[in-house]
Amino acid sequence: MGILFTRMFSSLFGNQEARILVLGLDNAGKTTILYRLQMGEVVSTIPTIGFNVETVQYNNIKFQVWDLGGQTSIRPYWRCYFPNTQAIIYVVDSSDTDRLVTAKDEFHAILEEEELKGAVVLIFANKQDLPGALDDAAVTEALELHKIKNRQWSIFKTSAIKGEGIFEGLDWLSNTLKSGGG
Amino acid sequence: MFSLFYGFWKYIFSKTEFHVLILGIDKAGKTTLLEKLKALYSNLEGLPPDRIVPTVGLNIGRIEASNTKLIFWDLGGQVGLRTIWEKYYEEAHAVIYVIDASSPLRFEDSKSALEKVLRHTDLQGAPLLILANKQVLPSWVLMVGYEGTVSSSKLARYLNLMELDERLLVMVLLRCVLIWQDIDGAVSSSELARYLDLKELDERPYMFEGVSAYDGTKIKDCIDWLVEVMERSKRTDRLRARAGVAGSLNV
Repeated sequence: MGILFTRMFSSLFGNQEARILVLGLDNAGKTTILYRLQMGEVVSTIPTIGFNVETVQYNNIKFQVWDLGGQTSIRPYWRCYFPNTQAIIYVVDSSDTDRLVTAKDEFHAILEEEELKGAVVLIFANKQDLPGALDDAAVTEALELHKIKNRQWSIFKTSAIKGEGIFEGLDWLSNTLKSGGG
Repeated sequence: MFSLFYGFWKYIFSKTEFHVLILGIDKAGKTTLLEKLKALYSNLEGLPPDRIVPTVGLNIGRIEASNTKLIFWDLGGQVGLRTIWEKYYEEAHAVIYVIDASSPLRFEDSKSALEKVLRHTDLQGAPLLILANKQVLPSWVLMVGYEGTVSSSKLARYLNLMELDERLLVMVLLRCVLIWQDIDGAVSSSELARYLDLKELDERPYMFEGVSAYDGTKIKDCIDWLVEVMERSKRTDRLRARAGVAGSLNV
């Protein structure tokens, strides 16, 4: 009986859960974004070895957000977290133009993964506050996003430090997940 | 032997898959159309128009209609994003081009973007469906009977689409399908009057449709038309042949 009520309640209020991975090269701003989402403020971070995980409630969706360390040596471990993932947030340091090629390669390698086939993709062109940061169209070009043809994607200009763009991205994500995703 | 039967079975029962691009400048209503299509053809609800944010990327809709699978690619229409449209041309079977008929100020932009689309060689022979969108405003309703036809021919004339002889062109009026909250004031009746000229209906290759407000039946007519022309278009044969070659190379 209790279960029945819980079900009714959650279907009435549309509570949904989603597992989200935040990926990207080291120093892209993944952890700052995670805590921006969770606490709404900027925390000082150190390079993540391993992962941070937080739950964020937004637009009736409970996001379980996993922020995985981005250094080269630990990127191979990302795949341990791939199963049951509904969405990927891929964070790019838009001002780090030298490493955009690496970011692109890692990104397309992730998309090849069988276990992430159904996941929708949200790209954060982060660090827009820095001089010389590329805009969304330029990052789109650099990451070759047009190669994605079988899943939904969207890119947002963000500044984790200033708190810009992140929740707009999350809006898109929650809408996309609600309307059936991938 | 098994593979022979399997191949045969697949040949008989597998549904043809078509890729349809939804293009148009920003704020034309592309994503709203996509969500409406999802709602009409699948059991997904589709996002209500007020929840839709400008697309910066790709939205996908998969529906089944007339025994075919349709995959819609809805791409962002802002100026900086239009450069990626052409990356999707090669694999597209047809194009739906959406125009916000309620904002004449942007017709010029719409027109030049459309011309650019049509000039591209990767889209050669692709059937084209043009939707004059956002025919939602109360002033239209006053023009009983003719309100849709006139504006579509006017729009077609404006876009100068006469030279599109080998293409199949349909002007469709999606009336009252989309309710946009951010249009206030709508098109005034005097502005409308300027577009009104009933003698303008000439012999150009199009058919137009008025779309009924809420049941969406005319959208289905458009999609039926689209499927039909895609099935007999030479472009589909070409794409299929190429896919077949690629497939056999993979094996």
